Amino acid sequence: MASEVLAKPQMRGLLARRLRIHMVGAFLVSLGVAALYKFGVAEPRKKAYADFYKNYSPEKDFEEMKKAGIFRSIK
Amino acid sequence: MATPAQLGLQNATSPIMEELIAFHDHALMIIFLISSLVLYIISLMLTTKLTHTSTMNAQEIEMIWTILPAIILIMIALPSLRILYMTDEFNKPYLTLKAIGHQWYWSYEYSDYEDLAFDSYITPTYFLEPGEFRLLEVDNRTTLPMEADIRMLITSQDVLHSWAVPSLGVKTDAIPGRLNQAMLASMRPGLFYGQCSEICGSNHSFMPIVLEFIYFQDFEVWASYLYIV
Repeated sequence: MASEVLAKPQMRGLLARRLRIHMVGAFLVSLGVAALYKFGVAEPRKKAYADFYKNYSPEKDFEEMKKAGIFRSIK
Repeated sequence: MATPAQLGLQNATSPIMEELIAFHDHALMIIFLISSLVLYIISLMLTTKLTHTSTMNAQEIEMIWTILPAIILIMIALPSLRILYMTDEFNKPYLTLKAIGHQWYWSYEYSDYEDLAFDSYITPTYFLEPGEFRLLEVDNRTTLPMEADIRMLITSQDVLHSWAVPSLGVKTDAIPGRLNQAMLASMRPGLFYGQCSEICGSNHSFMPIVLEFIYFQDFEVWASYLYIV
């Protein structure tokens, strides 16, 4: 009975292949985390400040605070 | 002031503090980038049985992991230096205020106005009115005009103290025998709290700072008539 010959398995360069794939993956993950923080936290925060000051009126704010009685120097 | 369990920076009241918050976001983004990369690589190393024990040449990777960190450091340093020089800009101040640290209170001198000086002690807890903040209120608040550049001259009469108001992005050491200058500018009216930030003895935690920013016309009236409650 003739025995079937299996294909020789890949025996070399396994670690190098794993490193090649995962180094790309590692950089993609870390850049993704950075992009997530930048566009999820940093940019919305800058926009929140810009939106707050777009229609902000210090006079109105001051009068409201004065009416609420928080200032001691003026009544 | 900070709210309970607050982790992040307080909301900015001055343009410098806005810049500092943006820079903190930038630096934290880089920290997350590097930390996630390192964590990924650690998990890679811990989840394989493959080994390589005969590395002889690492020239390429040495180049990469020297140049890449250098670029990252430059990306951090450039905005940092920009803000540093911005804090040293001198903008023809409207007012000069001296803050002098003592054990354990602050005293303030408005030398532009004749004889305007007072001490600012913490309000003890049993004297607080409803709605006031424990360990943050003072008997005499430091009143200042809003939307004006104010020069602070900070020193100490005894030991090291530090005059800090997080919302304005100010923290300046009060050193005996030395005058440190800081610039303040608030874009909004209101009350802004700070605390002594250099260990100065047993009551170091009990010498807070309260700034009351009001309209400059009202400030002029206050300075003239000394409306201190």
